[in-house]
Amino acid sequence: MSQPESPITPAIELEGLTVNLGGRPILIDLCASLRGRAIGLLGPNGAGKTTLLRTLLQFFPTTNGSARVLGFSLENEGKELRAQVGYMPENDSFVAGMTAVHFVRLMAELSGLHPEPALERAHETLFYVGLGEARYRKLGTFSTGMKQMVKLAQALVHGPRLLMLDEPTNGLDPPARKRMLDLITDIRDRGETQILLSSHLLGDVESVCDEVLILKDGRIAASCDLEAERSANRSFVEVELQTADQRFVDELTELGCELATHDLGRLKLVLPEGRTVRDLYEIANRLGVGIRHLDLKRDSLQDIFLRAMEGDNGGL
Amino acid sequence: MAVYERTWRRYLGELTPLRWRWLVVTRYALADAFASRLFTAFYALCFLPSVVGLFFIYLSHNMSLLQQLGMPPDLMNMLTDRFFMNLFSWQAIPAFLVAVIVSPSLIAADLSNNALPLYLSRPIDRHEYVLGKMAVLAILLSPMTWVMGLSIFILQAYFEGGGWGFENYRIGLAYLVGHLAWIVVISILTLAISAWVRFKPVARGALFAIIFILYFFAQAVNAVTRTSFGDLINLVRAMNSVVMSLFGAPTPSGLPVSLNWFTLVAVTALSIWLINRKLRPHEVVR
Repeated sequence: MSQPESPITPAIELEGLTVNLGGRPILIDLCASLRGRAIGLLGPNGAGKTTLLRTLLQFFPTTNGSARVLGFSLENEGKELRAQVGYMPENDSFVAGMTAVHFVRLMAELSGLHPEPALERAHETLFYVGLGEARYRKLGTFSTGMKQMVKLAQALVHGPRLLMLDEPTNGLDPPARKRMLDLITDIRDRGETQILLSSHLLGDVESVCDEVLILKDGRIAASCDLEAERSANRSFVEVELQTADQRFVDELTELGCELATHDLGRLKLVLPEGRTVRDLYEIANRLGVGIRHLDLKRDSLQDIFLRAMEGDNGGL
Repeated sequence: MAVYERTWRRYLGELTPLRWRWLVVTRYALADAFASRLFTAFYALCFLPSVVGLFFIYLSHNMSLLQQLGMPPDLMNMLTDRFFMNLFSWQAIPAFLVAVIVSPSLIAADLSNNALPLYLSRPIDRHEYVLGKMAVLAILLSPMTWVMGLSIFILQAYFEGGGWGFENYRIGLAYLVGHLAWIVVISILTLAISAWVRFKPVARGALFAIIFILYFFAQAVNAVTRTSFGDLINLVRAMNSVVMSLFGAPTPSGLPVSLNWFTLVAVTALSIWLINRKLRPHEVVR
C-alpha cells in the first residue's frame, strides 16, 4: 500500500462522522478537512474532544459517516493509520514496574522499530523531552510533570507523522507547561510531524496551533484557520477623543475605516487593509484633535471561541 | 554523536512486520516473568517430574546400570499406562501453578496502570494483545508439559522398539492433545481472571476458588440429584475425564466424554467473553 503524501493529504477528514456511545450521540455529523501543521481541538468539558481523538484511533466504533487520518480510512486501514500516529493520552498511562527507557523502548517496538534502534531512540527521545537523567528511574517514582513528559516521549519515539496530544499540559506548573508547549512548538516547526492538540485551554491552543476546530455538544461549533486569521487579521481600534470632532470622523471614513460606533467622542472602528494606527495619529495631528485613549485589538481565539459558544451553529 | 547531543527526528528505518508485532507483548511479558530469580528457580523445578520420568525410562532399559545400582531388573514392568497417566498429572500440576503465578500480572497490571490506550493506539488490536499475553503462558507451559511428554513417549518408543510407539500411539496423542487442551483452558481462564481482578493475590486466590468451589458445588449437585450432571460445571473432573479418555482409560465422570469436552469449551468461551467485555482501550464509566 502506498503511503499518502502529507502535503496534499489533509491530516484529518471527517465526513458526517457520528459516534453513539451507550445509545447516546456523542459526536454528531462532523464534517471537516483539517490540514494545519498544528490543529487545535477546542471545546468545553464534555464537548467530545477526547471522544473524537479516540474515535480517530479506532477506540470507538463510528455509528455513521466516515473519517480519514493522513489519508488512511478508519474503516479498513486502522493498523496502517495507527502506525503513523503517536498518541499521548490525557490520564496517567504506563506499563507497571518499568524504567522510563524500558517503557519508551517497548512502545517503540510496538510501533515497529527493531529492538536496537528502539533502544537508541528511547534514549534520544527521553533526552529530547528533558528526562535524560531520569531515564533509568522507575515510572512509579516520577512526578506529574515527568509523567507528562514520558507520555510525550512514548508518543514521539517512533517518529509519527501525526501526533495526537490530549490535554498535554494537564497538571503542569507554569515552567513545565512552558517547556511542554515549547517542545510541541519545536516539533511543529520541524515540519515533519503534524499535531492534533486537544485542550480546553485557549492559551495552549493559541500559542501552538494554526488551525482550530471548536466542538460544542458533539457538533462542530466553529472551525478556522488561525494562521489566515492572524495574517488577514483586521485591527479593531477603540479611540477616545478629548473633544468630539466631526472632521476626524469624516477623515476616517475617507480613509476607508468601518466605524462601528457613531459617537463623536468615543469611536470604535476597523482599520482598512494597509492602514495602521500611525495614520490615525497623523490625521489627529493634522486636525489638532487630542486623542485621550487608543486601544488596538485583534480578533483573538478567545473572541472566536466565545462567539462559537454563544451561537447555535457558529460557523465562522 | 553522543545520544544526549542528538535531537528528536522522524524514524525512517526499517519496520518489523505488522502481523508479528504482537510478539513484542509476549517478549516483554516473558522478560518480566523471568526478572524474578525465585520464579526462575521455581520454573526450573517444574521440570523435575519430567526429568525423573525420563531418567526412570532410561534406567529401566539399562540393565547394567540397574545391576550396578542394585535395583530389580523388572523395573520395566512399571512402565504401564498408569505410569504415563501419573506422569501426565505430575506435569499438569506444576503447569497450573506456573499459570497461577504468572497470569495475574499479565493483564491486571496493564489495566491498573491504564496502559491499554498505549498498546491499542499502536498497530496492534485487542485480539493480538490477548494473543500476545496468552502466548506467554503457552511458551512457559509447553516445554514442561507436552514437549516433555512427547520426549518421554519418544524415548520409551526408542528403547522398547518393535513397534511399541505405533501400538501405544494413544499415549503420545494424550500427551499432546491433553496438555494443549489444558494449556488453552487454563491460559484463557487465568487471563479472564487477570482482566477482572486487578489485585494479584486476590486474582490468584480467585483461580483456586473458582476451581475448588465449582468442584465441591458439582459434587453437592451430584449428591443431591443423584446424577452426574454436576460434572458439567466441574472443570477438574472434566479435564481428568478428557485426559483419561485420551489414554483409553475409564473416565471418572459419569457423563459422556463429549460433555466433558463441552465443559472445557464452555469455560473457554465464557472466559473469552469476559476478556472481550473487559479489555477496552478506555475506562467505561457507568
